[in-house]
Amino acid sequence: MLRSLPRALRIPSGAKRAATAIGASFVATALLILIAGKNPIAAFSAMFYGAFGSMDRIAFACNKSTPYILCGTGIALCFRARIINIGGEGQIALGGLGAAWVAFVWPQHSAFMAVGTALLAGMAAGALWSGLAAAIHLWRNVHEVLATLLLNFIALLLVGEALHGALGEPGAGFPQSSMLDNAYWLPVLATGSQLHLGIVIAVVVAVAAHIYLWNTTGGFALRVLGASRSAAIYAGFSVSALTMKLMLVAGAMAGLAGAVEVLGVHYRLIEGFSQGFGFNAVVVALLGALNPLSVIPAGLFFGFLEAGALAMQRQVGVPSSLVSVIQGLTMLFVLAALASTAQRKAA
Amino acid sequence: MDALALDLLVASMRIASPLFFVALGGILSERAGVFAVGLEGMMLAGAWGATIGTFLTGMPLVGIVASIVGGALVASAVALVAVRFGAEQMVTGLAVNILTLGITSFLLRMAVGGGRAPVIQVPLLPVWPVPYLSELPWVGPMLFTQQLLTYAALLATVPAMLLLFRTQMGLTLRAAGENPTAVFATGSNPMRVRMLAVIASGAVAGLGGAVLCLQQVGTFTDGMTAGRGYLALAAIIVGRWMPVGALVACLLFGAAEAVQLRAQALALPVSSYTIQMLPYLIALIVLAALGRSARLPAAIGVAYEAPKRPSA
Amino acid sequence: MRASPLLEMRGIVKHYGAVRANDGIDLDVSAGQIVGLLGENGSGKSTLMKVLFGMVAPDAGSIVFRGKELSGHLPREAIAAGIDMVHQHFMLVEAMTVAENIMIGWEKAGRWLRTAEIAEMIRETSAGYGLDLDPRAPVGMLSFGQRQRVEILKAILRGAELLVLDEPTSNLSPPEINGLITVMRRLRAEGKGIVFISHKLAEVTAVCDEAVVLRDGRVVGRAPIAQTTRADLARLMVGRDVVAPIVRTDCAASDPLLSVENLSVDGPDGQHLVSDVSFSVCGGEVLAIAGVDGNGQLELVEAIAGIRRPAGGTLRIRTTDVSRAGVAARIAHGLSFIPPDRSRTSLVSEMSIAENLALRDVRQPPYSRGVFLSPRGLQAAADRLIEGYAIRAPGGRTPVHQLSGGNQQKIVVAREMDRGPKVLVAFQAAWGLDPGATRFVLEQVLALRGAGAAVLYISTELEELLSIGDRIGVMFRGRLAGIMRREEVDLERLGLMMAGTSDDSATLAA
Repeated sequence: MLRSLPRALRIPSGAKRAATAIGASFVATALLILIAGKNPIAAFSAMFYGAFGSMDRIAFACNKSTPYILCGTGIALCFRARIINIGGEGQIALGGLGAAWVAFVWPQHSAFMAVGTALLAGMAAGALWSGLAAAIHLWRNVHEVLATLLLNFIALLLVGEALHGALGEPGAGFPQSSMLDNAYWLPVLATGSQLHLGIVIAVVVAVAAHIYLWNTTGGFALRVLGASRSAAIYAGFSVSALTMKLMLVAGAMAGLAGAVEVLGVHYRLIEGFSQGFGFNAVVVALLGALNPLSVIPAGLFFGFLEAGALAMQRQVGVPSSLVSVIQGLTMLFVLAALASTAQRKAA
Repeated sequence: MDALALDLLVASMRIASPLFFVALGGILSERAGVFAVGLEGMMLAGAWGATIGTFLTGMPLVGIVASIVGGALVASAVALVAVRFGAEQMVTGLAVNILTLGITSFLLRMAVGGGRAPVIQVPLLPVWPVPYLSELPWVGPMLFTQQLLTYAALLATVPAMLLLFRTQMGLTLRAAGENPTAVFATGSNPMRVRMLAVIASGAVAGLGGAVLCLQQVGTFTDGMTAGRGYLALAAIIVGRWMPVGALVACLLFGAAEAVQLRAQALALPVSSYTIQMLPYLIALIVLAALGRSARLPAAIGVAYEAPKRPSA
Repeated sequence: MRASPLLEMRGIVKHYGAVRANDGIDLDVSAGQIVGLLGENGSGKSTLMKVLFGMVAPDAGSIVFRGKELSGHLPREAIAAGIDMVHQHFMLVEAMTVAENIMIGWEKAGRWLRTAEIAEMIRETSAGYGLDLDPRAPVGMLSFGQRQRVEILKAILRGAELLVLDEPTSNLSPPEINGLITVMRRLRAEGKGIVFISHKLAEVTAVCDEAVVLRDGRVVGRAPIAQTTRADLARLMVGRDVVAPIVRTDCAASDPLLSVENLSVDGPDGQHLVSDVSFSVCGGEVLAIAGVDGNGQLELVEAIAGIRRPAGGTLRIRTTDVSRAGVAARIAHGLSFIPPDRSRTSLVSEMSIAENLALRDVRQPPYSRGVFLSPRGLQAAADRLIEGYAIRAPGGRTPVHQLSGGNQQKIVVAREMDRGPKVLVAFQAAWGLDPGATRFVLEQVLALRGAGAAVLYISTELEELLSIGDRIGVMFRGRLAGIMRREEVDLERLGLMMAGTSDDSATLAA
C-alpha cells in the first residue's frame, strides 16, 4: 500500500551520516571483541590487511563488492521513489538461474555471444521476478514489501528445484550445475588476477543509474514521486507506470548481479550462492544515501569488509560472523539517524 | 496407510511446534501496528539463549528464561529504532535479523567455544504423555504425547485470544495498530503501547527458539532458524492475524514439510521444492486474493508521531 | 432554558505570525443552551474551538468551565473536565465494532472488558437519544451520519456537559440532519450546553438559541435567534467594505472554452461530493465560484484537472472531449491548474525553482531534449520567469522551501500561466498571501483573461471573487447554487446562497 510512505527514508545528505554510522558500529564491534577477550586492534588490522594486503586480496574484495553495487543501485532507485523493494535475494538467485539455463539450453561458442546472452538472460529473469511483485502490488493492492519478501523464498526454491532436476550435475553430491563452458566465464581484467569484468559492469551500471536519476526526465519523475505522490500525479506522471518501470529496472540489476556471480566467480550455478546478497544490498543502498554513485563506495566497503573478515578469522581467531554484526549495526544506526533527522525536521 | 497418515500428523505437529510461539508473538507485534519482520532474529536469539542457558547451568528452566530474555532484547532494538525513532519497520527487521545472526554466532564461539565453534549438547525435554488422553486414537499421539513447551504453545492460544479480544489492554493494542490517533485521544500513549507490544512479541517468539533447541535439536548452530521466522510471518498472514488461525497455518506448513520429507515414500508427482514453496505461495495467494480487503491492521507500517503539547 | 453559565471564554487572542486568528473573543454558553458559532473560512471559529479543546494554546484570554479555570490543557484533560468535541474527521477504528470503539481507554469498561454490559448501556442510551446504534455493528460498515452518532454517543457516555459540534452536517443527508437536530434538542433538554459551528443559516436558525457571528477574528454580532433573521446573519457574515474592484476592461466573450456537463464526484463511502454540476466558461471571461470550504469545490476542481476520477459527466476544452484524458493530456490541450496545497502538491519543496517551474512540462522543450534534461533550458526558463514575475529569489537553483509563501505561489502562477493556456483553473490561488502578493495573483489572472483565456477561479475570499469575476457562482453541498453576473451581485443574496437558501428550510424539522 503506497500510502505507508516511509517518512524515515527521506532523501538524506548522507556521507557524514554513513561515516558516523560505520564508525559507531566499529566501536560497538570493538567492544564485543574486547568482551570476548581478544584485541580489537589486532582484529581490525588483520581485517584491513586481509582486504587490502595484496593485489590478489584487493581483486578478491572487488569481486565480492560487485553484486552489492549492482543490486544496491537498483534498490537505491526504488527506495528513492519510496518503493520498498526487498526482493534482491530472489532476483539475484533467479538471475543466476537465467544465466545458467541459457548457457546450457542455448550454448554459444564465441565468448561475446556466450557472456552476452547469459547476462541478458540473467537480467530478464530478475526483471520478470520483480515485475511479478510489482504487478501483484499494483493490481491486488498487496504491500510491495510483503510481495517481494515472499517471492524471495519462492525464487530460492525454484533455483533449488532446477538444480535437482534439469540443471543438476549428475553425480555431484551437492546441488550444483555442471561447470559452464569456458566461453561463459567472465573475462578477467588482468591475466593472472582473479578480478573479473563484473566490477567494471557494476561501476558502469551505477554511473548509468546516476545519469538516469539526475539527467533524464524519467529520473526527474522518480524524484518527484519520492518527494510527494500528489505532486507526481499533479505533474502528470503515471505512478503505476513509474513503479513498474523502476521495479523492472531494479530486478534487472539484481538479476545481472546474480548472473555475474555465476559467470565470474563460481562458473556454475550453486544452490545458495546468493545468500545474504539481497538483504545486504539494502544496507548498501541506505549507506549510499540512495545515490547510485555513492552506492559504489558503499558496496566496496561491504565487499572489503567481507574479504577482510575471512582473514581476520584465520589470523586472529575472531569469527568472521562479526561482519554480520558490523553490517547489522551499521544498518540500524543509519536507520535511526535517518529517522531522527526526519523527526526533527517535521517538528 | 493408517500408520502413514498418523506418522504424517505427528510429524506435522513436531515440525510446526517451533513456529507456534513465533507466530503468536508476531501477532502481538503486527496487531499493534509494527511489521514483525524481525521474528527470525528474535527466534534465533531465543534459541541461543535456551541452548547456552541450559548448557551453562544444566537447568532447562534457565534456558527457557534465557530464551525469553534473548528474544526480548532483540525486540527492544526494533522497538527503539522502528517505533521510538520511526524508522522503516521492514528494513529495521531485516537489520536486526542480520545483526542477531552475527552476534549469536560470534558469542557462541567467543563466550563458550573459546574461539572456535563449540560442540554443545543439551538434553532434550522429555515427552510428557497426558494420562488417559494420550491413549486416544489419532489425537492421542498427536496432541497429548508432546513435550512441555508444545503443550505450553497450544495452551497459550487461549490467553492470547483472551488478551487480544477480551481485555482493555488488548483493545488498546489493537487500536494502536488500527488508528493510533484514536488511542491518543483516549489518553494512552500509542508509542508506548507499540513498544511494549514489540518487546512482548520478542519474548514470546524467543520461546519458539527454545522449542527448536530444547525439544528437537539439542544444540545451537549458526543461523539454525533457517528462515522459520519468515515462515511464521507467512503463517500469520494466512491465519489472518488470529492466534488460532496462525496456529492452524503453522500446522499446515508443518504438514507440507512433513510430506516433503517423506516424498520418496509417498511417490508424489510433485517435487519436494514445490512443496516447500507452498507456505509462501499460499501466503501470497491469500494476500493477493484479499487484495484491498486484506485485514491487515490499518495503521501497520506507519510510524506514529506524537503531537506536541501546547505551550502553557 | 437558561441556567448558570457553563462556559465563559474571555478575551481569547491567538496569533499565527502576522495573522490574528482570534482577536479578543468572548463566548458564553449556559447549561441547556445551544449557541451557534457562525463565520466564513478564516473567521476564527476553528481556532477558537481548538483553544477551548486544548489543541492549541491562546496568546491571551481565559477559559472558565463549570467554575474551574482551564489553561495549558490537553484534549484529554478537556474531556475529563466535561468538554467534548465531535470533529469533522472522526477518531474511530473502522475494523472494530461500535462497542469496542466506545470502550477504548474507558475505565468504566473495566480491565476485563464488560462487553455485554457496555453493549446494553449503548443500546439504552442510544435509544434514549434517538441515536439508534447497534453496538455490534462494525464501524467500517456505518454511514457517515451513523459514525457521527457514535462520536456523539461516546461523548455522552463519558459525561460531557459541553459538546462542540464542528460543521457536523457537511456530509449528512437531509433526514440525517433532522435526526441530528432532534438529538441536539434532547441534549439541551437535559441541561447540556452545545456549541454548534456551522455556516448553514437554515440549520442554525432552526436549532440554536443564540447566534454568535465571527469575522476576521472578532465577534461582529451576537443575538438571540428569536430576535434576528437569516438576512441579518448573512449580512453580518459577509458584510464588509468591499474594496473597489481592480479596473477591468470589458472583453467580448467568445465561444465556451471550458464546458462542464453533469459532473458528479463521489466520495469513498458513496457520498455525493459533487452533484450534477454544469456550467461553461467563455474565452476572455472569469467565472468565480464562492462557497465555504467543504462544499465540493475542491473535488470539482480536481475532477476538471484530471487528478480525481468523476462518477459521471463530461468535460470539454473548446470542442474536444477530455473526460477520459489524463493530467498530461489535459495540459497538452491547454488546461492549467493551480491547486491549493503548495507544500505538497503544486510544488516539490526540496527541488529548485527551475525544477519546479518545469514540473508539469518537463518532457517538453526547452526543459528537455529527448530523454535528457536540458540544464541550460531549465536555467534559461527560470531566469526569464523569475524576472518576468518578479520572484524574489537568489536564482533558479534555490530550493523552493527557502522562499516565502508569496514567492512560492508566484512560481506556481508563473508556471501555469507561462504555458499560455486556453483554460486556467485556480483554487485558493491567493491563500496565505499578503495583500501585495494577492494583488499580483489577481492581476495575472486578469491579464490571462485579457489574452482570451477562460478562467475558473475558486476561492473562499469574497473580495477576490468580486474584484475579478465576470460572473459569480456559489457551491453549496456539491451543487452549483446559482450563477449571477457581477453587476447583479447582491451581497446578501450571495451570503444566503453560501449559507444555504430557503429551499433547505422546508425539509428541516420544526
